[in-house]
Amino acid sequence: MPRKKLESPAEGVSRRTFLKGAGIAAAAVGVSGVDVAGETPSSQESLIVGPGPVPFQLTINGDTRSIEVPPSTTLLDLLRDKLGMTGSKRVCDRGSCGACTVMFDGKIVDSCSILAIDAVGREITTIEGIGTPENLSALQQAFIECDALQCGFCTPAMVVSCTALLNDNAKPTRDEIRAGISGNLCRCGTYINVFEAVEKTSGQGGRDD
Amino acid sequence: MTEEMKIKVGFGDTFRELTVRIPDGDIPPYQPGDPLDLVGTSEIRLDAVAKVTGTAEFTYDRQPKGLIYGKILRSPHANANIRSIDVSQARALEGVRAVLTTPDVFEDSTARYAGAEIAAVAADSEAIADEAVRMIEVDYEVLPFCVTIDDSMAEGAPKVGRGNQENVDRVSPRARRRRRGGEINADAEASMVARMKEREKTVDKLFAKSKGVVEGEFRTQVQTHAPLETHGVVCDWDGKNLLCYGSSQATFGFKRELGSSRGPVGAKDVRVICEYVGGGFGSKFSAGREGVLGAMLAREAGKPVRLMLDRKEEQTSAGNRPDSLQKLKMGVAADGTILAYRVRSWGTPGTGTGGAGAHNDGIYNLGEIDKVEYGVRTNCGGARAHRAPGWPQGVFALEQMMDMGAQSVGLDPIEFRKRNDDHPIRTAQYDIAREKIGWDRPRVRGGAATVCRGVGVASNLWFSAGGRGTQVMVRVHKDGQVEVRNGAQDIGTGTRTVMGMVAAEELGLPLARVRTFIGDTRDPQGPGSGGSTTIGSITPAARLAGYVAKQRLLEVVAARKNWPIDQLGLRRGHVTRSGDPVLSFDAACQLMEEDVIEVLESRKANYAGFSDTNAGVQCAEVEVDTETGEVRVIKVVAVADAGKLINPMLAESQVRGGVSQGVGYALLERRIMDSQEGRMVNPNLEMYKLLGAVDCPEIEVVLFDVYNGKSNTSVMGLGEPPIVATAAAVANAVSDAIGVRITEIPITPRKVLEALGRKGSDTGKKGE
Repeated sequence: MPRKKLESPAEGVSRRTFLKGAGIAAAAVGVSGVDVAGETPSSQESLIVGPGPVPFQLTINGDTRSIEVPPSTTLLDLLRDKLGMTGSKRVCDRGSCGACTVMFDGKIVDSCSILAIDAVGREITTIEGIGTPENLSALQQAFIECDALQCGFCTPAMVVSCTALLNDNAKPTRDEIRAGISGNLCRCGTYINVFEAVEKTSGQGGRDD
Repeated sequence: MTEEMKIKVGFGDTFRELTVRIPDGDIPPYQPGDPLDLVGTSEIRLDAVAKVTGTAEFTYDRQPKGLIYGKILRSPHANANIRSIDVSQARALEGVRAVLTTPDVFEDSTARYAGAEIAAVAADSEAIADEAVRMIEVDYEVLPFCVTIDDSMAEGAPKVGRGNQENVDRVSPRARRRRRGGEINADAEASMVARMKEREKTVDKLFAKSKGVVEGEFRTQVQTHAPLETHGVVCDWDGKNLLCYGSSQATFGFKRELGSSRGPVGAKDVRVICEYVGGGFGSKFSAGREGVLGAMLAREAGKPVRLMLDRKEEQTSAGNRPDSLQKLKMGVAADGTILAYRVRSWGTPGTGTGGAGAHNDGIYNLGEIDKVEYGVRTNCGGARAHRAPGWPQGVFALEQMMDMGAQSVGLDPIEFRKRNDDHPIRTAQYDIAREKIGWDRPRVRGGAATVCRGVGVASNLWFSAGGRGTQVMVRVHKDGQVEVRNGAQDIGTGTRTVMGMVAAEELGLPLARVRTFIGDTRDPQGPGSGGSTTIGSITPAARLAGYVAKQRLLEVVAARKNWPIDQLGLRRGHVTRSGDPVLSFDAACQLMEEDVIEVLESRKANYAGFSDTNAGVQCAEVEVDTETGEVRVIKVVAVADAGKLINPMLAESQVRGGVSQGVGYALLERRIMDSQEGRMVNPNLEMYKLLGAVDCPEIEVVLFDVYNGKSNTSVMGLGEPPIVATAAAVANAVSDAIGVRITEIPITPRKVLEALGRKGSDTGKKGE
């Protein structure tokens, strides 16, 4: 079963329209809230943003952040390299491993395959917004107790995917959990422990020791 | 000086006394019935909170101030000589801070596989570094190449090696070489060849006497390590001293490599930090060319440089498990005893021949063995040690031969194995695995229906008691703080946690009361995470350091309180006198005159022990759809021995991990090379398929708790053993399900359908 993914934003700037041709539609920029300093777009087709840094705002973990990066910057690189939020990992950089998973309005997406500028207007949730060492989520606590981690590199994104899964489905079956994290690869082989952690969180047992 | 003493060794309810010589200064091993509060409990990992919150800082996450980015230019050709490299345009690009070439750095002007390092740049952004790499102009003399074992072994194949190196080179038994260039000592070679002929004759005679003789030809694929964190470093110089954050499974190995005066970096003082590493599986012992280039770019640029491989580079250039072609023959007596065994095997570890071997002649008593094996050079990225090097491929073939041998004399596969196995632990494991998998349950098997089920068995063996060369420091501070320190890394196995547990046990403290430090070469010497020996090397030193620190603290208490020291102990956060708590640990520390008790203890030599090896048996149940050819692994039972269990939960995780990788190896993973262009076709994570959550089988782990007595903690490592048997057990289960043997992994739907197609028209090899 494919994992639930956001195909493209229903409105605003999609990667496809962004990449089409040389420019970016000004109206779309306006809709998604991109404020290109000093220019008042009059024609939808006339405005080109980039390749230099462009200022815009993003909502990340409930905070509004003012950003200024080239429009070619992926959301993942923005999070990691500009905002110092390194919980999301770059592993394949092409949307096949899920290690960079974040939430857009509660749905999981691969932040390596989304331009930061395309995240305008979205509620972005990263691992840093799910829990902190001092204030762990119930799922994070279950991950710890079920040893649902080994090297730990895939773990933050696993937590994000499982959080989204539980938000959608409070009592997922084992098969639904498998499907829910089917986009997250773990090389150490912690899958079963992850299943157990999700089941423990949803009050369906988990591991007994 | 050593102390002779009697210890109990064994497992379950069967123990025997063994007289051992405990090295001077060491303490005797844990004994059955010892009152242990921490050891043997499933404490949660000390780094779990950091890992689930994303706050654990991996090498990839390090961002020192002023960080710039390194990038490597790699050869597009599978075999080429570099005539010249023009870096002038790259150097002139704005934002480029350093440019290096491999002929300059490594004195190597060849590119012997597609992906070989040619040059490297460091620039203010990754985008600039990428652009600079594209601007480097290289004049190659392009040469013919071989990228598959068959191409390289073919007559008239292009030469892969240098000088007089042949493409196919015998690696065992090996005549003494005169020197590294590969020249063979003619006399030694002649006498070796004579001995090989003799052995061949002996084994032929035994085959003639055998009731059952079976033969098979098996192939395994190249498997890449594919750790999620790629290889690489973040390097920062302070004058002549190098600070290297390295994604490493051998911090001290990196330090030696980058600090060696004979190496290109030759840093005066090197500090390697690796607090967390995103997987290694054997591929991260060496800093590699990427590490060397990262360090040198940082020096030339005068800024910290991050040089982490991208996924394509990781899959192409950062190591793999060699493939294999194994031709095996086995002779079995009527009573099921194996009389003789012949091995001819080949494997390609890339442009060299080191590490090509397949361990297909171990585990069981195989009678007289005639084994010759060869390394085959190909123009491919080089092998690196990979979780149980040589074993999964060898055991894949060996275990199918065991099934075929059993069949040749009409024995049940498990009974046949027991008849040829005398391992003191494994012989107790077979029946447990048999029962847990439901071996004797009726199943629709033999290809008799659309969906068939089958079961298979395979064994593993390992050698992981650990050894000397490791030191652990324990510090007890006057304010009650306790530190436990070792400079080695925790690659996800739980080293940090078990090191803390054994020390805390001695000090009578809960695990949360000790602070553990790991992954910094400023701390005491530790092992590379290889051979599953990390836990067996670190825990005895940690336990001893904890013990000595306890004695020192109790001496203080005895002197200050005027209590007889032989009545004192530490347990559950208190000093005990004749077993009763009399003083809190913190209050005891307050009695210290100095600020800190600091103890540095070394890992002592191993004792005689119960068994030098740890054992395991796995059974797999599979379901095969005979219409689509799809194989699903339903369940794997893994019975495993890790010596004395320090933390059962972490041990179980290791077994689950090894089995998971083994299932991927059996069904999915495969490096594919393009014979036309000589490049890897699937250097990514969608075409190179790792096991995912949907395909992960149920894994039932049964852990043996063995008082092995090899060291004071009796522990045996468990990283590698579980991966050894899995692919073999799965393959045997598939042949049980469809009634025809599949002799090549990965077992793809196409191979299943082809095998089913052959069935009936071809009875297969003798004995099948």
